[in-house]
Amino acid sequence: MINIADNRDLTIYPISEGAVSVEFGEAIDESVMQQVNGFNKLLNEIPFPGMRQTVPAYTTLSVFYDPLVLIEGTLPGITCYEKVCRYLQQLMKGYELSIATVEDDLVNVPVCYGHPFGPDLDYVAVYHKLTADEVIRLHSSAVYKVYMIGFIPGFAYMGGLAAALETPRKATPAKAVPAGAVGIAGKQTGIYPLETPGGWQIIGQTPVQLFNAERQPPALLKAGDRVKFEPISLADFKKYRKG
Amino acid sequence: MKIVIKKAGLLTSVQDLGRMNYLSQAVPLSGAMDSLSAQMANIALGNDANGAVIEFTKGGAVFATKSDVLLALSGDGAYLCINEHRLPSDRPIFIPAETELYLENNRSGSRSYLAVAGGWDVPIALGSRSTYIPAKIGGLLGRCLVENDQLNNIDDLNPAASAIWRSLQGDKTNYPNWKIAHDLFLPADRRTIRVMQAQEFNWFDEPSKAAFFSKTYVTGHNSNRMGYHLDGAPMTRVVEDELLSTAVTPGTIQVSNNGGLILLMADCQTTGGYPRIAQVVSVDLPLCAQLNPGDNIRFKKISWKDAEKLYLQFKHDLRKLELAIAEKYV
Repeated sequence: MINIADNRDLTIYPISEGAVSVEFGEAIDESVMQQVNGFNKLLNEIPFPGMRQTVPAYTTLSVFYDPLVLIEGTLPGITCYEKVCRYLQQLMKGYELSIATVEDDLVNVPVCYGHPFGPDLDYVAVYHKLTADEVIRLHSSAVYKVYMIGFIPGFAYMGGLAAALETPRKATPAKAVPAGAVGIAGKQTGIYPLETPGGWQIIGQTPVQLFNAERQPPALLKAGDRVKFEPISLADFKKYRKG
Repeated sequence: MKIVIKKAGLLTSVQDLGRMNYLSQAVPLSGAMDSLSAQMANIALGNDANGAVIEFTKGGAVFATKSDVLLALSGDGAYLCINEHRLPSDRPIFIPAETELYLENNRSGSRSYLAVAGGWDVPIALGSRSTYIPAKIGGLLGRCLVENDQLNNIDDLNPAASAIWRSLQGDKTNYPNWKIAHDLFLPADRRTIRVMQAQEFNWFDEPSKAAFFSKTYVTGHNSNRMGYHLDGAPMTRVVEDELLSTAVTPGTIQVSNNGGLILLMADCQTTGGYPRIAQVVSVDLPLCAQLNPGDNIRFKKISWKDAEKLYLQFKHDLRKLELAIAEKYV
């Protein structure tokens, strides 16, 4: 059980004429993120008229809305901003009860580590004075937490990386990182959903599509999910790709 | 109604008013950079304001009509021309089949929007027809338009669009003597951009904050649909905290680690980790969309409350305009 409200008022600030951010804390912290994701679930179950989207991040939940619907609606308050703030404050008061029911999904992601998909696996191993197999074992034995989806469609920033694997980003980003590449940057791990330039240390690749605009929802992962990587062989990778 | 692209020009893509419902999955908003001009072009045809339009960057594009068409162009990036003759913007224009049209550079702006009666018919992807090129989503095959691309309209016209079509249809180019009062939606001074102070405004020292509201900033040469670098007085920080990535949105002005300003535009990422010094007033974003590299701008502060009022007033005026067109023809 997490003490959510502490009887304090939420910090809410506007980020545009049609969006506010709610701040739950100031540092990367599991309990703060649990509050963000719990409140996100609650708000999406009981949205206010005119609410369009919510964007959870490390310490904030941003709420996008249509000011026209707000101003013509019946929520108390004079400006749209005031109406939204009041609604969120009110909802927060009943929040403590619902947090206990939050259950996070566990997603298994198969990864072919090392050659030919993990050009930086050896670098990471040498950096930490480990063998490549030890890096794979460490990386695939943890359960990660999706902190946030950002950067490019479907990109999940995940925490829970073993301290023994923390590796700085590349000084010069790679010009093209392929879709499915699994990387490490600092204390986080992540998977590139699309081919893009990128600075993370790439240790493997998943045959799973992280983002597909034809699918609903298009992103495989969402903030709050738990993720487990499962090492697979190159043969299995190819089989998986063939479907 | 059908056209074929003969020359694509600098960067030409299909856009509507953007993809709002997948921000949580880090799919950018996208949509017309100058959403005002996109809406003006649609409203001139009696279309839904969110109809898909073609966004042209500067002049240079050439296209031909493959059937009789009803088009409207809006925005200051280019003039629509036939045989060295400029056609007026912000009004419906009937053009017969097999006519070649081209866009002639207009130095006063950057982007122009071509609407067709009914809107351009490209598939809806994730709730929008807007092209987001980096992820190959939306528009025509998720990419910018290229030579020989063919585009059709959605042949299901609003009553107003049908009535305009009937009133202008014939065997030669034809347009009415009225135009949409596009200028009434824009401030007189198009180089002063109104902004609100953003959450990290006080992370910067007093001289920086003063400079932000008094100095001139120049649109950088590497500006694109994702955002603009603004060259000018650098911002010096007094708070050295690292900002954890949080939601950003078009109009957000971030300060990069070297103190430079970055103005986020339509294709910007959904989250960012640079401190935010200001947010451009939503109704002034169309002015930013028309900036060319090298253009000078200044920032003027207004309150969040006034910005909201401006937005609501804009929406109200837009609705009135739509009704006026409908009443005129239906």
